Amino acid sequence: MKKLIPPVGFGLAVALACLAAAPMAGAASIENSECFACHSDESLTRSATEGMNHSRMSELLFIDETQFNHSVHHNNGIGCVDCHADITKLNYNQEVPHKKQLDLVNCTMCHEESSNAFKDSVHMKIRGKGITMNCNACHGYHYITRQESLSVADRTNNGCAKCHNPYQSHDWLPQKNEHFSFVECVVCHVPEAPRHIRLSFFDLMTNKFYSSQEILKILGITESEFRLLLDTNKDEIINVKEFENLELILRQKNVHAIFHAELVAKMHPSVHKINRGQAERDCKTCHSANSPYFDAVTLVLTKDDGSSDHFQVDRAVLESFSLRHFYALGGTRMKLLDKIGFLLLAGGFSVVLGHLAVRIATIPLRRKNEYEAKQSSIQEEVSR
Amino acid sequence: MSHEKLIYIHPAPVRVWHWLNAAGIVLLVVTGFQIRYAEILNLMPLKDSVSLHNFAGFGVIAAYFLWLFYYLSTGKIIIYFPDPSTFVAKAVKQAKFYGYGIFRGEPNPHVMTPENKFNVLQQKAYLGIMFVLLPAQMISGVFLWKVKGYSDYIHLLGGIRIIDTIHVLFFFFFASFLVVHCYLATLGHTPLAHFKAMITGYEEHH
Repeated sequence: MKKLIPPVGFGLAVALACLAAAPMAGAASIENSECFACHSDESLTRSATEGMNHSRMSELLFIDETQFNHSVHHNNGIGCVDCHADITKLNYNQEVPHKKQLDLVNCTMCHEESSNAFKDSVHMKIRGKGITMNCNACHGYHYITRQESLSVADRTNNGCAKCHNPYQSHDWLPQKNEHFSFVECVVCHVPEAPRHIRLSFFDLMTNKFYSSQEILKILGITESEFRLLLDTNKDEIINVKEFENLELILRQKNVHAIFHAELVAKMHPSVHKINRGQAERDCKTCHSANSPYFDAVTLVLTKDDGSSDHFQVDRAVLESFSLRHFYALGGTRMKLLDKIGFLLLAGGFSVVLGHLAVRIATIPLRRKNEYEAKQSSIQEEVSR
Repeated sequence: MSHEKLIYIHPAPVRVWHWLNAAGIVLLVVTGFQIRYAEILNLMPLKDSVSLHNFAGFGVIAAYFLWLFYYLSTGKIIIYFPDPSTFVAKAVKQAKFYGYGIFRGEPNPHVMTPENKFNVLQQKAYLGIMFVLLPAQMISGVFLWKVKGYSDYIHLLGGIRIIDTIHVLFFFFFASFLVVHCYLATLGHTPLAHFKAMITGYEEHH
């Protein structure tokens, strides 16, 4: 089975890109442990009067090492001074061993494509109105984790909903609640960004998503065996039959997980290019047969570090009873129902047209019978 | 026309319900097709068809409760229940009439009275429609109207796909039934006789 997003390779690429791009003269010798010698102290603060702006970050200098160690940057070998590149050496003779006023971290050093997309976005343009929005406004600082395993709700809460209340706008949108629950903001707001239907294991009893480890433990198999279990014909795509088979196996293991489906954007730099007036507002784009929004379907196994394994699923699964807990009006409709509907309508029209045709054809017969009945009635009256 | 006798068959509440229901069902069928086949039909924007569909749906639900209240409070609900002891014989007779006798100009074996306005085939059909199909369609429609709000019930019934399948299959049934119903209404002593009766309340007996 093909892994669609190879996190390890991606991580290496990011690390290599940083190594190549970051101005780290002398910085390589500074280990994270040296930074945490001071910054793991919860009481470490910086007075807001020393020239820094009065933000929370300027005061709190404590970094939770455990949380930092779960971050995507740490997991990809990015150290403190790779980002805080203006710290080139530590002088322990001073009260603060580096300069007190550090430069802003330049995420562009590594995330060039995302940065370029962001530069062409409304979030950059608002700087003209005096509002500065940096990467950390959405992504945070030291504890950035992978986003790909997050649900729509988490993606919204961790991102757009920090500033925007979607319920205060979107008055034109029918079924707001349903859209906000199943569709990630950028899917509509950046129509060119790649997206996919993300299927994940969900337990209705506990109202929680199953993690990769939980599912594999229940099934009693390893990650590589999971691929073999799913893709029995080894064509690297899970078809309806294979999907049904997985469901059956889960039932046999007494796991009543459902497949929760959401329409989310793929982790791609283009998601940063949000602009006014470009959001998808034509309902038909999504809610019609063969909509491109449902072309990519993936089953995901989420991991603790926020990454996930993706398994490509045949779109036909969305239009089958295998996926009973997701339906996008018109977009994932079952063709079988259309055929049954056509037969019902054809049956109704056939009965009507057939009966009407015989009714018209037998008009002379009825006239004749009526005439004969009248004659016989007259004869009866005469004979009386 | 001196040999004709007028009989008051359809009281005002029934007529009001009937035409409210008719308007609602027609709107639901038209907007239903627009919603399901948005890529083919262009009668109105999808967003408007969804709003109109919801509006008409609640109209039909309101009309249904008017119907239920009237028939329960007057005890006339009994006209929807065929007598099992005579059902088969009467059903065969009625089917023979529709399939053969009507073409020969034979009289309808069922004589409409205020107490017994439906023939047994109508009784059976309307019993299923008013007590099973329409309630199922209304409930599934309400669930589809607020999928998130009713998610617990939807999950309990097997998922949104099951609810949608019920709604769509019955939608096609009602669309087909609408055609057949309108045609059957032309089988009075004149093609418009039953239509007039549903406006005035009076059926002409010969």
